[in-house]
This record gives sequence, structure tokens and C-alpha cells, in this order.
Amino acid sequence: MWIEPTAFTPEPGVLLGLRLRVGQDFLGDPLVRDVKLIDRFVVSGKDGVKNVLGREHADPAGLLRPSDPGLLIVGYQSTPSPVVLPPAKFQQYLTDEGLEPIAALRASRGQTDAEAREVFTRCAKTLVLLGPAAATQKDQVLHFILELTAEQNPYVMHAGETLPFRLTYQEKPLAGALVVAINQREPSVKVSARTDRDGRVHLALGKPGAWLIKAVHMIPAPAGSASDWASFWASLTFELPSAPSRASR
Amino acid sequence: MACAVIVLVAAAGTGAGAHEIGTTRVVTRFPADGTYRIDVVTDATALLARLEVADGIPRSGSTDPHVIQELVGRHESALRQKLTIVFDGVRVEPAIGVAVVPPSEVNGVPGATLTLTGRRPAEARTFTWAYALTGAAYGLSVMPGDDGAAVTQWLDGDQQSTPVPIATAVPAPGRLRLAARYTALGFTHILPGGLDHVLFVIGIFLLSRRLRPILLQVSAFTIAHSITLGLGMYGLISLPSSIVEPMIALSIAFVAIENIVVREVRPSRIALVFAFGLLHGLGFAGALKDLGLPRSEFLTALLAFNVGVELGQLTVIAAAWALVGYAFGERVWYRRRIVIPASVGIACLGLVWTLQRLHLV
Repeated sequence: MWIEPTAFTPEPGVLLGLRLRVGQDFLGDPLVRDVKLIDRFVVSGKDGVKNVLGREHADPAGLLRPSDPGLLIVGYQSTPSPVVLPPAKFQQYLTDEGLEPIAALRASRGQTDAEAREVFTRCAKTLVLLGPAAATQKDQVLHFILELTAEQNPYVMHAGETLPFRLTYQEKPLAGALVVAINQREPSVKVSARTDRDGRVHLALGKPGAWLIKAVHMIPAPAGSASDWASFWASLTFELPSAPSRASR
Repeated sequence: MACAVIVLVAAAGTGAGAHEIGTTRVVTRFPADGTYRIDVVTDATALLARLEVADGIPRSGSTDPHVIQELVGRHESALRQKLTIVFDGVRVEPAIGVAVVPPSEVNGVPGATLTLTGRRPAEARTFTWAYALTGAAYGLSVMPGDDGAAVTQWLDGDQQSTPVPIATAVPAPGRLRLAARYTALGFTHILPGGLDHVLFVIGIFLLSRRLRPILLQVSAFTIAHSITLGLGMYGLISLPSSIVEPMIALSIAFVAIENIVVREVRPSRIALVFAFGLLHGLGFAGALKDLGLPRSEFLTALLAFNVGVELGQLTVIAAAWALVGYAFGERVWYRRRIVIPASVGIACLGLVWTLQRLHLV
């Protein structure tokens, strides 16, 4: 799940829709605003962190009318949702998301052919730029359970450059996690790497346009839980300029 | 009876959860003319993007409604592959209409409606649906027939629905056929279905073998139960069956006991039968609600059911008169050997039913 703003670089004062999308390969369907699913839906900018407002059961789930230039960090963290997956689908998704240790754990428990009871939490962010880009504009940590943070402002980068990202779980670096980058116009070409011991990953983003960076972390569900597994889905979206804004770099 | 069945279905392996509801909505109708119509309302840009990916071409990213409508039309074969419409296990191919509407001021995203139509196989009893062009959960509403209430399943992404019965979607009968059907239902609610009502009517018959007192009581009973049946069906009055049913049983016992202690039909008896008729009408309303009434012919069905009830009651009285009234009514022992023993029996049965319906025995 990711956040897809109606514009990544809107004009100041224009109503900005913050659309929640769910799907595969950056090909998503709208999710309507559902207060039961929202743990935090916030925007962080010059004025600090504020709640994102919206109309219940509407798409876009959030609406903003930003006016001040700068980098806005919008974040959505869901409440946990349970789901039961058939064994083959669960196994495939473990493979797709680089969760081999969980597959191995299931195998050691003799659960490979059993359906999986999972509780999942979404942790999505998007970066929206108003006005000119500057290297001093930084992505911010929103203290999500699983969180992807851009360590350089993507709006001062350009296609073909390597961008650093950091993945944290419970605000500590998460090592060994698969981080995948997908360009919206060419979703079949994926760029991926595993995080180092500091939770860092460097991804060479070759194309301009909208990018989705994503990672999934899974742990055995706490004892006494109705689920077997707890998963956390982090995403970060932004638009990579086709030409660098050299004047401001 | 309006009833919506909500089934939450497990999510697909994309991580899309059963509780993450998208904006796609699917409404299916099965009109009486033997056709089907399925309206899929969805996000037009997401629809086009999925079709382009399915056909292996780069995503155009178009947001222009006219362009999207044209482009979606070019992907008809991919669209057909992603749709599954099955009647009784047999897949059918619909005619497909596409309409793309401009975005609203706030939304910024155009909406698409796919209209899928065709003729369903004769005698089709179940409908199954799948739509592999969304990754979010959505509601599939199935209207079984012209008068049926919607049955809704929540499906996740490409999940296939469970087979939905459409057997009730038979062609709507004409008014005369419908009236005949509900008259028969009313009649069989008395004979053989309503022993309690039968015994009440016999109780009315037993007190006097003369025509006028019988007609007076039957008329009072008929007017009364017609009033409460009508008011009950229109939802203007209601009493729980846990109260109505024991009181109906008690009314049977009461009338039978009065037959033992009273020899003539007095005005108070008519009033009593009227009051009990009000109760029996509520009982008829409960039965008729269980049977269901077509919304389009509500009054016809209601009147026909009442006529059927009347015919059933008159049949009981005619049979009782033919069996005992005609042959033995003039005998001096008629009251002693027929009326009193029969009334005692009816009274006992009425009291037993009363206790049973109060769950006391």
C-alpha cells in the first residue's frame, strides 16, 4: 500500500488529494478513508506534524491545501488487520518480499502446507514538494513501526543517480531486509537491494517519474495472539525529476 | 424479508487485506425477462492501467475520460479474460459497454462503469462472479429478482464469489396467477395447516346451529382479523409471536368453555369473537410475513391471502354443518352428546397449547 498524491509537486494553495492505493507493482486500486483503519494519518512540514483531514469513505482519503514552499512528508500508519492466506499464496508472497527466514521458520515448524493467519500493518509515506527544491529539505522520521526514510531529498536528485534510504523497525535500523524500488511508468523493471547493518540501502533509480520504494518485515505474532505472523509494510513514494534543479543544489 | 448477507473473504496474496475496502462496486440484476445485467463501477485510471499491463504494453497514464474510454475499448479481449460470469458452472460471455465519466472536483480521478449484459441460461439457478481487475476488497451485490433483496458478498481482488442462488428470479407471475397463489396459501394456512384456527372456527360453530348467529360470529371474526392482518402487514401494528400465539390458544379455550356454560349467542359473544379475531389477524400477519409478499403486488397478495383464509374458514363450517349439524342438530341430545364433549376437548387442547406456547410444559 502506498500514498499517491494527486500531484507530487503541486502549486501552492491548490487542493491536494492524498490517495491511498493498494495493489502490486505500483498498480493500485483506491482505498477509501476508513477511520477504523487509521492509526496515524499525518503531514509534517514547517508547522510541525498535523493530522490529515478527509471525508470518511471517500477517495482521496486525505485532503490538504498546502501554501508554504517546502518539502511535505505525509504518512499513513494503519491499525493492524487480520487476514488468512492459503499456504501457496503465503509462500509465494514470502518469496516475493524476500522473507526467506520466515519461510524457513515455517518449514522448521512443519507449517509450510498450513494456511497462514497474519495480522498486517501499513506504514506508508510520500514526499510532496512545493516550490523550489533544496538539499536542505529533508525527509523526516514519523516514528512509524516500520519506516522508510529518504536520506537525501529526491527532488534535488535526478534519474540515473543513486539514492540512499534507511529502513527502521521500532525506530532501530533493520538489517538484511529487501527494499524494492518500482517506477510507475515501467513497473516490470525493479531495482532492489538488502539493507546493511545500519538499515541503509542505496538504489540506482534510472528513470524519472513517480517511484515507489517498499519493504516488508515479518515477525512471529506474540504468544496468545489469534494470528501466527505479524507483518509491517513500509512504502515511500516521490517523483524523481527528469532534470536536476541545479540552481538550488 | 429484507436480508443482506455479508461475507468477508480472506485476502489475496498481494498483501491486500480483507478489510481494505476499495472504491469498486459491482451490482448484479436478474430481471424477469431472463437476462442479466452487471454494473461494475470502478476507478477508470486503475482499470486502464491493469488492462495495459495485462496486454503487456506500457502504461499510458491517461486521465482524460474520452481517451480512457477509447483505450479501454481496445483491450476488450484482456477485459474478457479478467471477467468471470458463470451460471450453474457454465461460463458465459457478456456484451460489454464502457462509460467513463469525468473526475469530480475533489477526486481528480475519472470513474468507469462497465455494463455487462446478456441472456442467462434457461432455468439457471446459481450465479458465480470473479473480477481480476482490482487489488482491493469490493462489494458484490446480487439482486435475485425484481422483488428480491440484495445479497452482498465482500470479495478481495480476484477472489471468486461463492455461487449465489438466483432461483427466486423466476418470471413474475401475472396478477391473476399471483392472486390464485396467495389465495391457495391463505386457504392452506387454515386447511390443513392451521388446526388452532380450525378449532376456533368449530368453537364458533358449536354454540348455535342456526345460520344467523353463525354468520354474525364469522363476520365479526373476519372483519377483525382482516383489520389486524392489514395493519400488521403494513407495519402499523405488531406484537411479538411469543404473545400472540399463546393468546390465540387461550382464545380457543375461552370460546370452547363459553360453549359449555352458555346456550345462546349474545352480543357479548360477538364482541368477544371480534376481539379474538384481532389476535388471529396478527397471527395471520406473522405467517404471511414468513411467506413473503411481492412488493409490486403487495395489496393483491394481501387481499388474496385473506380471501384464502376466509374460504378455509367457511369450508370448516360447511364441513362441520354437513357432518354433525345437518344430521344431528335437531336431536335433543345434540348439545349433551356433541356440543359439550367437543367443546371440552377443544378447551383442553386450547389450554394445553397455551401452556406449551408459554413454554410452561
